[in-house]
Amino acid sequence: MSEREHPPVVAENLGKKYSRGWALRDCTLRVPAGRIVALVGPNGAGKSTLMGMITGLIRPTAGRIAVFGDVPNGRGMHPAVAFLTQAKPLYPQFTVAETLHYGRSANPGWDQAYAESLVERARVPFAAKVGTLSGGQRTRVALALALGKRPRLLMLDEPLADLDPLARETVLRTLVEECRTQCITVLLSSHVLAELEGVCDHLVLLTDGRVRLAGDVSELLRAHAGQPGMQRLGELALAYMRAEVAA
Amino acid sequence: MTWIVWRQQRPVLITLAAGLVVAAAAILLLRAGMVSDLQTRNIVDCVRDGTLQACRGEGPRAFQKSWYDLIHFAQLLVIVVPALVGLFIGAPLFAREFEQGTHVLAFTQSVSRTRWMATKFVVAALPALLFVAVLQLLVRSWVNAAGQLGPLAGGPYYFSTFDAQGVSPIAYTLFAYTLGVFVGALFRRTLVAITLTLGVFVVTRGFLSTWRESTIEPVRVLSNELTDPYAGMGPGQVVKNTGFLDAKGAVVTDVNAAQAKCVPNARIEVSVEDRTACWQQNGLARSFREVLPFEQATTVHLLEASIFAGLAVLFVLGSVWAVRRQA
Amino acid sequence: MNASPVHASNVAKHFGRVRALDDCSFSLPSGSVTGLVGPNGAGKSTLLSLIAGLARPTSGTVSVHGTPVRGQMHPDVSLLTQKRPLYDQFTVREMMRAGAALNDCWSAARAFEVLDLLAGVDKDARVGNLSAGARTQVAIAFALGRLPKVLLLDEPLSDLDPLARDETLRIVMTEVAERGTTVLLSSHLLTDLGDVCDHLLLLDQGRVQVAGEIDEILGDHRVVVGPAEVSLETDGVVVDSSHTARQTTALVRGGSVPSGWDSTHPDLEALVMGYLRAARTRKLARQ
Repeated sequence: MSEREHPPVVAENLGKKYSRGWALRDCTLRVPAGRIVALVGPNGAGKSTLMGMITGLIRPTAGRIAVFGDVPNGRGMHPAVAFLTQAKPLYPQFTVAETLHYGRSANPGWDQAYAESLVERARVPFAAKVGTLSGGQRTRVALALALGKRPRLLMLDEPLADLDPLARETVLRTLVEECRTQCITVLLSSHVLAELEGVCDHLVLLTDGRVRLAGDVSELLRAHAGQPGMQRLGELALAYMRAEVAA
Repeated sequence: MTWIVWRQQRPVLITLAAGLVVAAAAILLLRAGMVSDLQTRNIVDCVRDGTLQACRGEGPRAFQKSWYDLIHFAQLLVIVVPALVGLFIGAPLFAREFEQGTHVLAFTQSVSRTRWMATKFVVAALPALLFVAVLQLLVRSWVNAAGQLGPLAGGPYYFSTFDAQGVSPIAYTLFAYTLGVFVGALFRRTLVAITLTLGVFVVTRGFLSTWRESTIEPVRVLSNELTDPYAGMGPGQVVKNTGFLDAKGAVVTDVNAAQAKCVPNARIEVSVEDRTACWQQNGLARSFREVLPFEQATTVHLLEASIFAGLAVLFVLGSVWAVRRQA
Repeated sequence: MNASPVHASNVAKHFGRVRALDDCSFSLPSGSVTGLVGPNGAGKSTLLSLIAGLARPTSGTVSVHGTPVRGQMHPDVSLLTQKRPLYDQFTVREMMRAGAALNDCWSAARAFEVLDLLAGVDKDARVGNLSAGARTQVAIAFALGRLPKVLLLDEPLSDLDPLARDETLRIVMTEVAERGTTVLLSSHLLTDLGDVCDHLLLLDQGRVQVAGEIDEILGDHRVVVGPAEVSLETDGVVVDSSHTARQTTALVRGGSVPSGWDSTHPDLEALVMGYLRAARTRKLARQ
């Protein structure tokens, strides 16, 4: 398979053990390219651990993981992967323009024009200091920073927390538009299942460090069609999290 | 409310208790060892009076080589502890509550803010003050046991003796504590408060240490020997000034002029008698030294302590304002 | 003097030149669960802190059961803020003891009852080591130990996973059902609010835009859809309108349905989003 054909993420029996126990165990999954994947599960289920292993920040204790065919190492993130966390690591003292400049110097494949267009569309002034922006604006700048890298896999860890409903809607819409037009694979971890319903077409659900559900949303809903209270993605996920469904 | 502050201060209390136990054990053991060493070397009388003949030999010197630095270190401990109290008990008292947002917790219960503040302030202060007092007493008893063979030979104004004596340690502790509490309440960030408290404390203590000796009038003591103003001086005297009187008893202003006439050739050794005679001929009748009288030491202590106490009161009022000011 | 659980009369709060709240007036009916919504910076947290007595209004009055609130917490009110402040070093049991020490009127029975709900919280665990959901449960138990008649919740569901959110809401609803507590709850998660609230208080730029019973409000508003070329004429108030190439959609308050336009009543989410969009349009227009 040429490099372009490797799936974004392939994990085989992936596991991570800490002194307090296994954070992730027997994780086997395959993220198909071009999808918007919802990564859901209660706190402590292993979502951050999984994301950490994809970015190479955490080393697996067991099993293997490949990102676009390459094994993530500690030397840096795969150039085709961008990561946006809830903390939105932007420097509050930098202006927006300086933040984009930082993006350019930190990333070889940087597309300045594209990043600038994203910031313009968000109507964020370039000269404003990041610390003075509203939560929604900051998220848009962080998104521009991530997308300016021209990634093929975009990972987002709770990007919508603390945003008001309008900002959430706008950020999500921008995300979906940009990623669908460029066929970027998105791995999005979020607690607000209702929002993910119209957006995600693939689901990975973790509880207690194991994968409980993984697959295309339409197929999963069809598989549970007869069961009451599981007509929507949100309800299905909640039911599995409550372990109300027999394994 | 008292229980809550005890519980919140529990780690600090344990540290203080453990620290006191260790310090007390160390000091008492060392002190006992030193006393038996005195008896072995047969220099017990030198503790009382260091000027005795028996106290100038090799024995006392060896003794001091073994023990002086340890005792001095114990005094320095008493000097450092007030700063530590201010930094690690005073500064975080309110700063940490603001930083973690738990002040909102306290303000939304039925306890009044005044009672909350006052209880925290008093209950956190008491163990620290007790620690300082006990440590001070222990160290003092050790210092006294060494007497003139130890730091006491430097007199009551010697910095480590002065700062570890009487009301001073408690006064410094109250100052550091209230300073820390005020800065913490004002800036609402623990690290900032610690840094600022340290800075202000060191500067203020340094300034007052230098200034306090100027508050008392030195006493003029005439020397028996013209060429040596320090003749007949006892141990531990702080000399602020030396000079010469003329035959009429007035202070000679231009001493160099008189003395220059008696040194025609620097290479020739002139005997003391000849120099004395020459100086007398040139208008220098008596030499004197101005010393700080030992009896005034208590006054200086009280003066310095009252300044620190006044500042402490201001800081308490400032803290009340800083905590209660509402957005 | 109005004796409703919470009554605000022309309340304003200024920080220098910033007007966090401006001329707010509303009244919460007893036993109601009111959702407090609005864009960030609308003044929601400021309003809650005024009702709790953490800050004083610049003008106007806030009163709880007829007593004006003046910089002091009313004994009938409990507040839970987004940070859910607790003493992290304490165990859960010690935290409850602290509740008794800090309050004249404290029911340990009620507090422990809440701690035992759902899966129960390990009472000997340190508060700082609890999961976000358990911590929220402890914070709510702490707030309810005061036996409040008015419960103020500032973003209580943030940082909670769906399971914990669901459980937290269940605890609150049980409290309302059993004791008739009046609840004022601010949240960004409109779907959750829609499940539990019967009243709505919508703030924007420090002012009350909408206040009242949700059913009434939804009945009073319409979402009208019409062809793009036809301009909208109505005797109601157009809250927000958006246009695509083919059609115009508008949220209208009051008035009659213009002929030729489709009209439906909005659900809570559509209503709030409409007001938020209008607020954003106004804000952008000013810049």
